[in-house]
Amino acid sequence: MKKRTLQRGLSGFWWLTLVFLYLPLAVVVFFSFNAANSAARFTGFSLRWYERLLGNEQIISAFWNSLVLAIVSSVIALAIGCLIGYGMYRHRHRKLGWLIVLIYLPIVLPDIVFGISEMAFFVSVHRHTGLLQPGLLTMIISHVTFQIPFVALIVYSRLVGLDPTLFEAAKDLYATPVKRAWHFLLPTIKPALISAFFLSFTLSIDDFVISFFTSGPESATLPIYIWGAIKKGVTPEINAIAALMIGAVALAAMLSLLFNRQGQR
Amino acid sequence: MAETLQIAFRGKAVVSESRHLLLSVSPGAIWIVVFLVLPSLYLMAVAFMTNGPYGLPQMPLTLDAFEQLAGFGFLGWSPGNLYTLLRSLWQTFLATVLVVIVAYPIAYYITTCREKWRAIMLLLVVVPSWTNQVIRTFGWMNLLAPGTPLSDAAQMLGLIPPNMGLYPSNFAVTLGLVYNFLPFMVLPLYAAFEKLDTAQVQAAQDLYASPVRAFWHAVFPQTLPGLLAGTVLVAIPAFGMYVIPELLGGGKGMMLGNLVANQFAGGSNWPLGAAGAILMLIATFIGLFAMRRIGKRLGGGEEVVI
Amino acid sequence: MFSDSTTTRMGESCMSDSASAAKVETPSPASRRADDVGETSERTRREPSSIELKGLHKRFGRDTVALDDVDLTIEAGEFFTLLGPSGCGKTTLLRILAGLEEPDDGRLLIGGEDITDIPPHRRSVNTVFQSYALFPHLSVRDNLAFGLRMRGESAAERRRKVDEVAEFIQLGSLVERRVDQLSGGQRQRIALARALICEPNVLLLDEPLSALDAGLRGQLQVELQRIQKRLGMTFVFVTHDQDEAMVMSDRIAVLDAGIIQQVGTPNEVYEHPRNAFVARFMGHDNLFAIHASQEDWVDTELGRLRLDPAEQRQEQEGWLLVRPETLELNADLSEDYNRLEGQVRERLYRGSRVEYRLEVNGVTVMATASNVGQRLHNVGDKVAVGVHPEDLVRVAS
Repeated sequence: MKKRTLQRGLSGFWWLTLVFLYLPLAVVVFFSFNAANSAARFTGFSLRWYERLLGNEQIISAFWNSLVLAIVSSVIALAIGCLIGYGMYRHRHRKLGWLIVLIYLPIVLPDIVFGISEMAFFVSVHRHTGLLQPGLLTMIISHVTFQIPFVALIVYSRLVGLDPTLFEAAKDLYATPVKRAWHFLLPTIKPALISAFFLSFTLSIDDFVISFFTSGPESATLPIYIWGAIKKGVTPEINAIAALMIGAVALAAMLSLLFNRQGQR
Repeated sequence: MAETLQIAFRGKAVVSESRHLLLSVSPGAIWIVVFLVLPSLYLMAVAFMTNGPYGLPQMPLTLDAFEQLAGFGFLGWSPGNLYTLLRSLWQTFLATVLVVIVAYPIAYYITTCREKWRAIMLLLVVVPSWTNQVIRTFGWMNLLAPGTPLSDAAQMLGLIPPNMGLYPSNFAVTLGLVYNFLPFMVLPLYAAFEKLDTAQVQAAQDLYASPVRAFWHAVFPQTLPGLLAGTVLVAIPAFGMYVIPELLGGGKGMMLGNLVANQFAGGSNWPLGAAGAILMLIATFIGLFAMRRIGKRLGGGEEVVI
Repeated sequence: MFSDSTTTRMGESCMSDSASAAKVETPSPASRRADDVGETSERTRREPSSIELKGLHKRFGRDTVALDDVDLTIEAGEFFTLLGPSGCGKTTLLRILAGLEEPDDGRLLIGGEDITDIPPHRRSVNTVFQSYALFPHLSVRDNLAFGLRMRGESAAERRRKVDEVAEFIQLGSLVERRVDQLSGGQRQRIALARALICEPNVLLLDEPLSALDAGLRGQLQVELQRIQKRLGMTFVFVTHDQDEAMVMSDRIAVLDAGIIQQVGTPNEVYEHPRNAFVARFMGHDNLFAIHASQEDWVDTELGRLRLDPAEQRQEQEGWLLVRPETLELNADLSEDYNRLEGQVRERLYRGSRVEYRLEVNGVTVMATASNVGQRLHNVGDKVAVGVHPEDLVRVAS
């Protein structure tokens, strides 16, 4: 009897928490359809902010910047991180403490310290050599830096979870080193590579602080644009673009659920 | 002769293994060293330089930045920076405690649900954190602004003066932090609850009369590693938080992250910002180190932190 | 529970199938292959290969000696077993044969050819791994064809060989399944088929049956032996189970501490173990220290016993092995027999035989009697114990 009360209480708490988690997002989506230019009173349904969005060149370019940044940085991080992950696995019996420290550094460093370090570095390098002008390139470099550890750790943990004799079986069955990589290693870690890519992509899209400090005047991403707009004074257009980004995340969540379901089957 | 050949051959094999390690690991290692370790070291060096025009650092080396950070300026000592530091510590502490209070029952509740629901429930908890931090915080700005139902209710209760919103305020910052970091606590706690040794719990229920004592002796200790991991994941980034206090806090809600960032974003004083960053790094590493020590004492420290 | 029983039944039906297939006069796969392919492929006409190990040394780290100066010759077409406790070096030896481990010193010849420095993917040697090591990302069919594909054989060739091996090992519909749909016994068969399909000169088996339950293991022991005889391939089998080794092998090498203790046929190793380690490892408990010995007798804890002069060795010291099944209890025995007095301390009824723990001259002696027509002795009974001198074996320390 007592147990059931507890369970009911918990269930109520769970739904409350869900409201807490989704209310701010729901408000953004809701007011993006507001006819009035207000975030407090809903006067009627309208798509006019979405229309305004399509006409806003700054937003369009910010969207492309975000996309290019996320894709390019994820691809580079995937290649480099995959190599490290494999190296860590292959040489896991050696003392690799220095490497572990190096790999965890981007994860434990506070965003803000990460961001300003990069900024100070890029600005100084640019001042002395003319290279690395703050812009999309410097943003890509910094994003790759914080994506590498996640890729490496995902690949590493996948490899550690494998039966080590699989590697020997591949050797035993006449596979040369190149064929082993192509016909055994890559197909085997493919799921890890896919999830590492998506995680990198999400991390990149999600990031604001590091992008903010490494961007140039031409390379604003969507979060940077939104940040600027909020600072200047809220316009409902932001609701619309934010709602679209929330929609993208919701879509990604559904896909991941679907993907998981299939993986389980 | 054959022996020397053997040794030579083995020598070569060892070298090629090392070369393999170097080849696979060096691109990433070099990348992190060049684009993170060097910049961080440069930033530390900046803290010891003199503030020049446009906030850019110059020689000679000095401890000015640290004096400024401690509050000494042209007009003598002012407590502003000290308040900011204390506020950061307090907000971090408060947010972490509140996150634990919310996350603990949620994590437990998820483990009591049916297996096929658990993945979906976890996903529901995590999905909001996939959206951009700026957007999430913007959502709270919409909710807490003057004239919204929440602010109106607070006014009716006399919590805030009339015609004001719930933001900007320290309360809004705390709320934003809790909102932001909740998933980071739920996940490790969920993992701990899932591993819970139920036999031990049942034994405790037999041994101790009250469920509270059974919980305290059998359940709580087993979830401590998860709690610790969650604390690291929440407290360390919360202490360095920039976006939430900047948007929800206003002038009186500033945290250390804002103090540091403003020196760079506004281009006013790099050495001061860098000195603040050093402070933040020291706090981070003390936090990590302390958690690691506690984790080791609890046993299984390796899996708790790093 | 249910899946367990189905697994066993699956194995049984496969077994009976293969048993009947063996009785019906199907042409052996080797000859059939030769008919099919004719002279086109060299690989198909490959003779089984002998293996020679010369002075192999292997250490791990600074102190762990895995193999210490191992010399061994394995005949072509032989079912050869490396037997020993865990850590004795048997797996290391197998891995060196496969090329997965490099010896620190010594040479390895297969078919007279020195392959010490040849990497594993260029050796015509295949391994059945203890964990089976089936590739999880591939179907059963692709697993079977993996080696052929890596050697660059055409798709048609691969398909034909997979079908052939599937028929030979009675895989039936397993070929079209996914690896994670297989039971332990089925995985084992696939792993075996995947190695056999490459028609290696030598097949290595690393405790392939150890993960299976006892019933299935017994069936597969018989089947493996039958397959080896039909193919005439050289098999090197690693196990720690002496019964398994005796059932299957043509010859056995017993290893301990990186040293080969004895090489011989199963009955040589069982009946005439060369030293106390081999004797104990083969399951012998009745070992008695020899205090003194002459031409045709020895003094032991049991007393003075006559033995066959042929059994004399140079060493004075050592052990006397009395196999429990050679002891006669309360029987009419001729003068030749050694006679002792004993008392039954414990009786273990095993159905087909009965084991007695006797006390003879204050020493514990195990005796086994087959359970035919005899009256069972009870605990406490005094019994006359007889053993023929020819059944006594001297064993070095």
